[in-house]
Amino acid sequence: MAHRYILAVDYEKCTGCHLCELACSIKHYGVVNPYLSRITIITKPEIQASTPVFCLQCNDALCARACPANAIYFDEKAGAWLIDYNKCIGCRECVYACPFGAISLTVKAEPIKCDLCGGDPECVKVCPHGAIFYGPEYEVVRKLKKGKSVGIVYEVLEKGVEVPAGNRVKEAEEAVKTLYRIWEERKKLNI
Amino acid sequence: MYLGGRGLNSYRLFKMVKPGIDPLSPENVLCLANGALAGTALSMTSRTEISSLSPLSGILGDGSAGGEFSAILKHAGYDQIVITGRASKPKYIWIEDDTVEIRDASDLWGLKVSEMVDTLRDIHGDDIAVAGIGPAGEHLVRFATTMIDKYHSGARGTGAVWGSKNLKAIAVRGTKGVEIADPETFFKLAKEDEEWFKKNEFVKKIYSVIGTHYGLLAWYPGWKYFEKYLGPEELPEGIRPVDLAKYEVGRTQCFSCPVSCKDVYKLPRWNEYGVSSEYESIYALGANNAITDTEAILKMEQMADEYGMDVITLGDTLAMAKFLYEKGIITDTDTGGIPLKWGDAETQIKLIEMIAYREGFGNKLAEGYRNFAKIIGPEALKYSYDVKGLSRGWYHVDFLNGIFTLAHATSTRGADHLRGRSWAYWENDRNMDPELPLKLLEGGLPDYRKDPVGALIVSERACTLADSIGRCKGSINSWPQAVPLVWKYPLFKGLAKLLTAATGYEFTEEKLVEIADRIYLIEMAFNVKQGIKKKHYAVPFPPEIINTPKVQAEIKRHWEMVDEYLKRRGCDVETAVPKRETLRNLGIEWVADEIENKEFPEWDGPPLWPLDKYPRGR
Repeated sequence: MAHRYILAVDYEKCTGCHLCELACSIKHYGVVNPYLSRITIITKPEIQASTPVFCLQCNDALCARACPANAIYFDEKAGAWLIDYNKCIGCRECVYACPFGAISLTVKAEPIKCDLCGGDPECVKVCPHGAIFYGPEYEVVRKLKKGKSVGIVYEVLEKGVEVPAGNRVKEAEEAVKTLYRIWEERKKLNI
Repeated sequence: MYLGGRGLNSYRLFKMVKPGIDPLSPENVLCLANGALAGTALSMTSRTEISSLSPLSGILGDGSAGGEFSAILKHAGYDQIVITGRASKPKYIWIEDDTVEIRDASDLWGLKVSEMVDTLRDIHGDDIAVAGIGPAGEHLVRFATTMIDKYHSGARGTGAVWGSKNLKAIAVRGTKGVEIADPETFFKLAKEDEEWFKKNEFVKKIYSVIGTHYGLLAWYPGWKYFEKYLGPEELPEGIRPVDLAKYEVGRTQCFSCPVSCKDVYKLPRWNEYGVSSEYESIYALGANNAITDTEAILKMEQMADEYGMDVITLGDTLAMAKFLYEKGIITDTDTGGIPLKWGDAETQIKLIEMIAYREGFGNKLAEGYRNFAKIIGPEALKYSYDVKGLSRGWYHVDFLNGIFTLAHATSTRGADHLRGRSWAYWENDRNMDPELPLKLLEGGLPDYRKDPVGALIVSERACTLADSIGRCKGSINSWPQAVPLVWKYPLFKGLAKLLTAATGYEFTEEKLVEIADRIYLIEMAFNVKQGIKKKHYAVPFPPEIINTPKVQAEIKRHWEMVDEYLKRRGCDVETAVPKRETLRNLGIEWVADEIENKEFPEWDGPPLWPLDKYPRGR
């Protein structure tokens, strides 16, 4: 059985820089505008929460079910639910129906949603932290499992600990070691 | 002509601010501008430049702050906001695309920065950006900052200018986006620029992990009021990067930045969060005050954000006070019985609060660094290590071939590390990429080991352009960050390509150099109007060593370098005033009409108010 290609996100890696939004709008509209992006970042830096919201390409899509004009259809080639703007009547039912808020409205009240860039998503390429990935369902889900289980382990370890330290300190120690190594290397170059 | 951002602000201030006015009077002008490439898909174009006549220094005062405000303001369709006059009651400004309203802010007045931002987000939605002030700005603390989206600050005392205008905040929502003249070329170049950061080992393994805490190892933080500068092996426990990492819970960044240089930290002792404990806060509030209690330093940084104060001036003023107390130049009578001891974190936390509300001894400290020394008396003023009112410590002229001292002297906003200093000797670039320095030298950056004056002038251009396109110069100052694609098309050719693709106007490297010089010279001319003379290009030394033959020889060398600098900048070497001919060549001869053969009263800091005239208490 051929696996569908899906888009997924590792929430722990996303820092909320909005670069995916900008890439999305420039790809689809040639302008830079987060309000024309099909991926939306909700951020709250002080608690280190940033959540990219985008279409999950449901198997049984509520947006398509809700659409009274049958304007939302599944495109096998893109592996995505697309909107037929010739049929769309601009009623916003799909926006209400989506359980994830993944459908946005442009200022012209035109619904927009992720079309997976026809199979080559721009957001994946631009993400500096590798937080968004795209691939065959089984592979992506496998990656997500790993990410989730690590998250759960941290959560258990942190219970009763006031500062979620440990991993951060180790990373910082590594960074300092790398710096000393770079300094050594540069000394030889005499610059 | 001026690109935007800092350039546009400096032009506006030269046009609008009259010589000799009180920076805290309604005559002063406050400018916020986001830069030519702000909010575009070029990463790290997130800086808002906030400029005014500085109440801290009495000359040009501008600060570059990160966050999301810059991009969202651009998406609403604006390049610059200019505030004049004074409101009769506290107000805030609400901008939603083309709609601009001045609204009542009596419920916001008195709120700390995060409370203010949260309140405005409750009113207008969470997709807005906010610039504003905390209690320090309201109380006209002379080093109060403009705070953006809670954690990003623009210094030089502009926060007090908001306060003096009864303006608490500007909130903005922008849904219009930015149109790019040639989106395909622009996006291709922007992606290339971002790829460099994504692939660079230094960026990935150090910059994105410990951020500017890297500087604690690499930038020699001052210890005990610049008694010495700490090398990487001398760092005491408590202020090493690994100590700070213990409190870190995550990382964050400004709009469109791939680096995430900012840490999110938790303070178990207070059960509070804070963001972005940068190198400067650790050195100024911690090391320079001999404080090594990690969590307390982080708490002070968080307080500075909440009250809206500049950490460098705050920390250095406190360190100077401790130093003067130790010397007996200030006593318990001055401090109201508060003992000032090195390493005393608890008292310092109390003092920071007193400064924000101008209570007791805090009222004097709130005047800020040189002004504080001035009201204490001439003995204290000898220890004010400032250039034109701002401090970055004192340095020997032979350090890095005179780059540090010259950069502090020639900065158009007073002693500073972000006007060109780090770029002149590629401070961090060689750590990022061993081939970068060679590319820079080949691209036209003079070698500071042979021509420090030339190296600094070119670096000042780089910083001027970065500030004017709205690009981050790098919390770890570096060429690739300040100047996009410098590693591929040195020095400014890559930036010219980007600007051409973005705007549709033809930009070249030569044109950008001319723009940078036009901006710098108009800033120098602005300061001439505020009474800056040649003698104000002097750099400070501790009075104990200033008369030694070694230091006298250094001072002689410094003045030789200043003369060379002024000559190459096209200024009169005797008066440090930009020449008419230079200004004519830059297309701004009208500037000469305002400064030539005119007498401006000599600068001696901003006019200070009697201490009981300031708003005080809660």
